[in-house]
Amino acid sequence: MEFEKTPPNVATSDTNSTCEYLDAEGEPEQDTDLSASDLYQEAEHGAEVEQNEHSIISVLRDELVTQTRNNLSPDSETAAATGQSRDLAASVESLALSTSTSAKTEDSGSTNALDEDIYDYQHDSVWRGQKKHIFILSEAGKPIYSLHGNEDKLATLFGVIQALVSFVQLGQDAITSIHAGGIKFAFMQRNSLILVAASRTNMSVQQLQLQLSDVYYQILSTLTYSHMSKIFEKRKNFDLRRLLSGSERLIFNLLANDSSHAKVTNNIFTFLTNSIRVFPLPTTVRSNIISAIQSNCSKIKNLVFAVLIANNKLIALVRLKKYSIHPADLRLIFNLIECSESFKNSENWTPICLPKFDMNGYLHAHVSYLADDCPACLLLMSVDRDAFHTLSEAKERITDKLRRSLCLQAINKELNQSHNVKLYQQVLSVPELRHFLYKPKATAQLLCPMLRHPYKSLAEFERLEAIYCDLLHRIHNSSRPLKLIYEVKEREVVLAWVTATYELYAVFESIVDKATVIKYVDKMIKWIEKEYDVYFIRNHPTF
Amino acid sequence: MATRKKSLLKVIILGDSSVGKTSLMNQYVNKRFSNQYKATIGADFCTKEVVVNDRVVTMQIWDTAGQERFQSLGVAFYRGADCCVLVYDVTAPNSFKNLDSWRDEFLIQASPRDPEHFPFVVLGNKVDLDNRQVSTRRAQQWCQSKNDIPYYETSAKEGINVEMAFQTIAKNALEQEAEAELINDFPDQLRLNSENNRPGNADNCQC
Repeated sequence: MEFEKTPPNVATSDTNSTCEYLDAEGEPEQDTDLSASDLYQEAEHGAEVEQNEHSIISVLRDELVTQTRNNLSPDSETAAATGQSRDLAASVESLALSTSTSAKTEDSGSTNALDEDIYDYQHDSVWRGQKKHIFILSEAGKPIYSLHGNEDKLATLFGVIQALVSFVQLGQDAITSIHAGGIKFAFMQRNSLILVAASRTNMSVQQLQLQLSDVYYQILSTLTYSHMSKIFEKRKNFDLRRLLSGSERLIFNLLANDSSHAKVTNNIFTFLTNSIRVFPLPTTVRSNIISAIQSNCSKIKNLVFAVLIANNKLIALVRLKKYSIHPADLRLIFNLIECSESFKNSENWTPICLPKFDMNGYLHAHVSYLADDCPACLLLMSVDRDAFHTLSEAKERITDKLRRSLCLQAINKELNQSHNVKLYQQVLSVPELRHFLYKPKATAQLLCPMLRHPYKSLAEFERLEAIYCDLLHRIHNSSRPLKLIYEVKEREVVLAWVTATYELYAVFESIVDKATVIKYVDKMIKWIEKEYDVYFIRNHPTF
Repeated sequence: MATRKKSLLKVIILGDSSVGKTSLMNQYVNKRFSNQYKATIGADFCTKEVVVNDRVVTMQIWDTAGQERFQSLGVAFYRGADCCVLVYDVTAPNSFKNLDSWRDEFLIQASPRDPEHFPFVVLGNKVDLDNRQVSTRRAQQWCQSKNDIPYYETSAKEGINVEMAFQTIAKNALEQEAEAELINDFPDQLRLNSENNRPGNADNCQC
């Protein structure tokens, strides 16, 4: 394969770098410390979870719903979709795939007008030059989604992908990645779906797979695992696009969060660190908000979660005792809100599946913005699909309370980024510190300052992204995790440091020396610890 | 259903080696024919857009290897097909006899939901040649005995009947799909209800 764009000039910055690191290999307990919440174990973890047939939502319903419901099909039992063993005749014939595309019809002999409509992406330099492609297909090789280009017109390519995956599967194995022509191809198979990322970005295969699993969860969030399994069980030729139409924008938004789509934002880092960002607020304001939610919701039956967010950050999460939301699920909620302008105009009642919470059922979410003059979005999620009016009333009361206690005002003030500016100023007081990511181990929450010069330009931001991808990859390397990386690169000095309580990744001007870096990091950590409760939420309260 | 814009059909072409599967596909998609024989290894893929009943349908055509030594991926290829095209060579009686086993093989491996009514189309290829061995009557009889499979006599070389055959393929596959959809859509709605009411067997949270 040949590609026209040359890869960005990242690799060269490593050439004259010095590298020091502390190897964590000698401490096996480190591995277990990372626990299931560690992002690089997500893939396997998710696969395990899928085998569970239980449904939390059903349990909740059993516990909470006292009224009897019409049980329409009590015998519906999910056959273990994962156990579809296919005894494949293991003939070891080498597979060579020849692909031809219909675009050859551009020759003069073609008389059929339709032929000209079949656009040939595979010979299109723009399409080929994309930094990242994502393809989703069914096990039958039918296209479901392509990040770039009309998937119908890429049907040939999807056939080839299916053949590649099947061929490796035939040998009782699974294809993970292909590295060719400066491009990484990452593969993931989940529940009758095949997901593929082809990337010229700086993400590692593991990071690409993490992104694929986020996309997979986005699909489950729309359809639920059990629903999708049953469909494919019945009809392997099912065209899943039919059920996903309308939610393509959600998938796109999830994938278009990085430099490959010319976006210069901190959003990509939450997914890379498997975390969410918290809306900074003075502790008194946050606790007032929480008690406003609690006092108006505690008596509502079947309510599982109340989530208040603004500007893609979490203000508060109040939950039913014993249950919590995984950061991956929260990111799906953020994604939904970010993509749905229409939520701003009215109250909404929408089913949503949070796959990490329960992949087999829907929660019913009352979604609305607090008030016309306060663009914070409140989600009240219940297992009762008839709870709209109850939740709608609760929301009104919450808003009233927040208005009276001046919390709306406080949120608005922060929307003008007062604490972000404070954080920014703090960073500014260390002029050599360009950017950092700070993630306490106890929470899956990420603190990072606004992007500043030089990372406001796309090319430079791309380099920053590459630095973090590389650091995160090496720190979380499953075969040889590191605890400390200090690296002098051509244009910056970078530090990655994992302690028992936090992970820190920081990027400095290239002129600083090690002693200065240590001094600055020390200062910064102290400041974060002092301000911790403004920028992080230690515990999510219950109703 | 009327709002649905996109439709994609997976079409599998099966038959003995050198009956002209690849040539038929090439004639249909690229309007080209070559006398040179090149065995297909694994599979070959083509895409073609057609209009059926005022609907634009994309056909994803899977041209499979006829030679046994290149057939390791049978199951994977047949999985989820919407239509199966069985091709034989009218000058090669054996390729006609083998239609039975190709059909059986497909039904066993693809295990479609409704094997009795799965859309097949039979093509007797190479009618441009003089040394014909299998009569139209014989082929038609066989097709009738298999639940009235549509039958076409084609020439990939001359382009005879190719367009029409594939049009039928698309039409039949689409009809089958529409029927299945009706069956499918109804219980799906019920299932969501029963799903939520289904007694769970777990007591803890997995997050």
